[in-house]
Formats: sequence, C-alpha cells, structure tokens
Amino acid sequence: MFVVSLLSSFDLSNADDRSAVAGEYVLGTLEPSEHLSFEAILMSDQQLQAAVHSWQDHLLSLSQRAMPVQPSINLWPRVEASLIAVAAQSVQTTQSARIAQPVQPAAVTTARPSTQQAISEPSRSPIKAGSRWWQQLAFWRGLSALAVAASMLMATALLRQDSRPPAGGTRYLALLQSPDQQLTGWIVEVQSGGTVRLVPMAPGTPVPADRVLQFWTKPKDAASPTSLGVVRAGQTFELPVSQLPAVGEQQLFEITLEPEGGSPIGRPTGPILFVGRSQKF
Amino acid sequence: MSLAPPAFDYESAVSACARGERYALRALYEREARWLLGVAQRIVRDRQLAEDVLHDAFLQIWQHAGSYQPALGSARGWIYTVVRHRALKEVRTAERMHAIDPQQLTAAADESQQHVAVDEDRGLDTLSLERCLQRLDQVQRDCVIHAYIDGYTHEQIALRVKAPLGTVKSWIRRSLASLRECLS
Repeated sequence: MFVVSLLSSFDLSNADDRSAVAGEYVLGTLEPSEHLSFEAILMSDQQLQAAVHSWQDHLLSLSQRAMPVQPSINLWPRVEASLIAVAAQSVQTTQSARIAQPVQPAAVTTARPSTQQAISEPSRSPIKAGSRWWQQLAFWRGLSALAVAASMLMATALLRQDSRPPAGGTRYLALLQSPDQQLTGWIVEVQSGGTVRLVPMAPGTPVPADRVLQFWTKPKDAASPTSLGVVRAGQTFELPVSQLPAVGEQQLFEITLEPEGGSPIGRPTGPILFVGRSQKF
Repeated sequence: MSLAPPAFDYESAVSACARGERYALRALYEREARWLLGVAQRIVRDRQLAEDVLHDAFLQIWQHAGSYQPALGSARGWIYTVVRHRALKEVRTAERMHAIDPQQLTAAADESQQHVAVDEDRGLDTLSLERCLQRLDQVQRDCVIHAYIDGYTHEQIALRVKAPLGTVKSWIRRSLASLRECLS
C-alpha cells in the first residue's frame, strides 16, 4: 500500500494503529499531509470507514461541551439559496454531458476558492441565478492566474510536509485547465521515482450525484489514456509514479466526468473537465 | 416523570437528502444548527466565520449524503465530523499565516474544561463516554477534549498543557486506546 508510507507514524497493518489513526482523524490531530493520505486510503478501506464511524459516535457526546449558539436568521436562507444554485448547475451539467459537449467547468463549480480571501466573497453569499458571478469571464481569468500561483504554493507546501526525503529525480508539473483554458482546476506534480500528486485548486467542486471525476494520463507516444483512478473534488489524490505507464514531458493528464464507479469501458467517455500537459519543472 | 422527546431519525433525514429532498436538510438544520454552530464557533472563534463554516458544511452534507453508509455508524456522528473538519480546515488555513499567540490560546480555552450543563435531552449517550474519560489522568483527558472541542493541533495542546510535543502525542494515542477499550 503506497499511501501507508505517507502515514509515517502509523502502521496500518496493525489493528491498534488502525484504530488510533481513525480516532486521530476524527479528533482532527493528524498532520495535514497525513489527513489527506488517510482520506485517500479511507475511500477504499471499508474497515477503516467503520473505525471512523465508530469514533465519530464514541466522541459525539463531547460536542455537548461547546455552548450552543443561535444561528442568525439569514443563515438557512443562505444555505437554501446555495442548494438551489447547486441543483441548477447539476441539471446544466447533466444536460451538457448527455449531448457529449465539453462542460464549462464554471458551470459545475460553486466551490469557494478558499485560497484567495479577496475573491472568496461571492460564493459565501448565496449564489443568485440572476447574477451568475461564477460565469463571468473576468472573474475566472483573475481566478485562474491567482489559482495557479496558489496551487503551486499548495503543492510545494504539501511536498514539504512529506516525511520522506525528495527522491531527487526529475520533477514535472502539469496545470489542468478547462478546455477553454479559462480556469486551472488542478495541478499534477510528478516526482520521477516518487509520487504523483493531483492537487485541487479549490475544495468541493460539486459533482452530480450519479457521476464521478476520473483522472487519466497518456504519455506522449501512447496510443490511449490510462486511468489513474476516481478522484474526489477538492481533495488531493496521490499515487506512486510506478503506477504510471511512463513519465515524461508533454505527457497528457486529464479529468473527465464519468458514470459512478468510473468509465465502464476503460477509456474516457464523459466530457473533459480539465486537461493539461506536463512540463519539466 | 418526563416523556422522552420523540426520536429524530437522522439516518432517514440523510437518506432523504441523498434523494434530493430539501425539507430533510432543513429538518437536520432545525434540529442541530445551534449545537453545530456552537461546535464550529468554539473551533474558529469567530461568529461570522462559524456561520460560513456551517453554510459550507450543510452544502457538503447535502452533496455527500449519498456517500454516508448507515450500516457503519450514526448519521449524527457523521454530520458532526463534516462540520468539525470544515471548521478545522478553516482555522488551520488561517493559522498557517498567523503564528498562534500562546497567551490567547490559554485565554480562549479557559472556559473549556467544565461540562456544559444542558437541560435539554438531546438523546446523546453522555454517560458512557464520561465514565470512560474519568478513567484517564486529568491531563490526558484534557488533551482529548482540547483536540475535539477546541480543535487544537498536537503543538497547540502541548503549549496549553505545558508538556513536550512527543508526550502529548503519546498521551492522545494512549487515551484513545483506553477509551476504545472502555467503550467497547
């Protein structure tokens, strides 16, 4: 298990450690890189999921120690307005998908770009269908440039948190952008002989309930793309470079929208949401 | 003799959210918002930020309701984790930019140790956990509570309880192992 090595202070083959790391995950005391690695493992580890749920329930009554606070009267209307906005966008996305057109990523994105304070305001207030700030070109242009910088910083920060020393191999970066190149959604970082990291630009891009995001790569001269797995919106995804068919410059990476469980035919079927080629860095 | 309040079915409400039934999210909100806001505010220490956290967390609950598996544990426990983790993310992002002032840390946590007396029966099994917490040394118990309630990192807890970082880490591990044994 590749991710196990990232959780350097826990041995996931040991039952006590598994319970401990699940408990610390719920408590919130894992290091940021451990937290992300743990979530990656959690997706496919039913036993750990059970351990997490059991800790959630064990510790729940501790919440009683926090004094209740009455929410302001406009909080629910804000939540509801955002629900409506999300629903409207899901419909839009599904329709686009059905006619196999590239989806405007802006149309499936309501996530607050948390890395930029200055532009975080719009999604915090309810998203009004009339204003559609998220469809404004200027907004996404500005966001895109900032997002690249922010995601680079984030990727670097994550690298530094990695407990292992850098492999010393060649490093490649790919900025995954929407097909119209207005938005950088993700950054792929490849350390030859090490890890591939897919780092989101912003957390929580909503995906329609019956669809998933799938991550693909196609080396420069390969005939067809290889699936690197289903990824979660807004979450860093990692895998060992050894699982890639090859590593090099001008290697294609992309994220597509696929049916639940991933593409049934082993090749991308859904619209391309984000795509980019690797560069030596 | 008082009648127990009718049990609220959190699992059904989350399933209904997964089917896109908005009233169910509203019901969860009506039922838990002030408690969840209390939990979030305790972690982020700012009222407006706490409301932002709750807004985002309710969207997350709505969007990920389909991934919640009732067989594994309570929906209520899941919801609290969504809110707490959202709050932690908020506060940890901010902390990367500002070094935390230990004085402030101490002051903010001073009110934290006593159990809040709540008249309302929220259907929480407080007794089992409290009984097991009482078996821990005071300082080890404090470590767990600071982590859960105040959202402190190992480093912040170490500052707060004035113990070396490594010691705090092993106290938390040992406390969790002891709680698990006691609760199972």
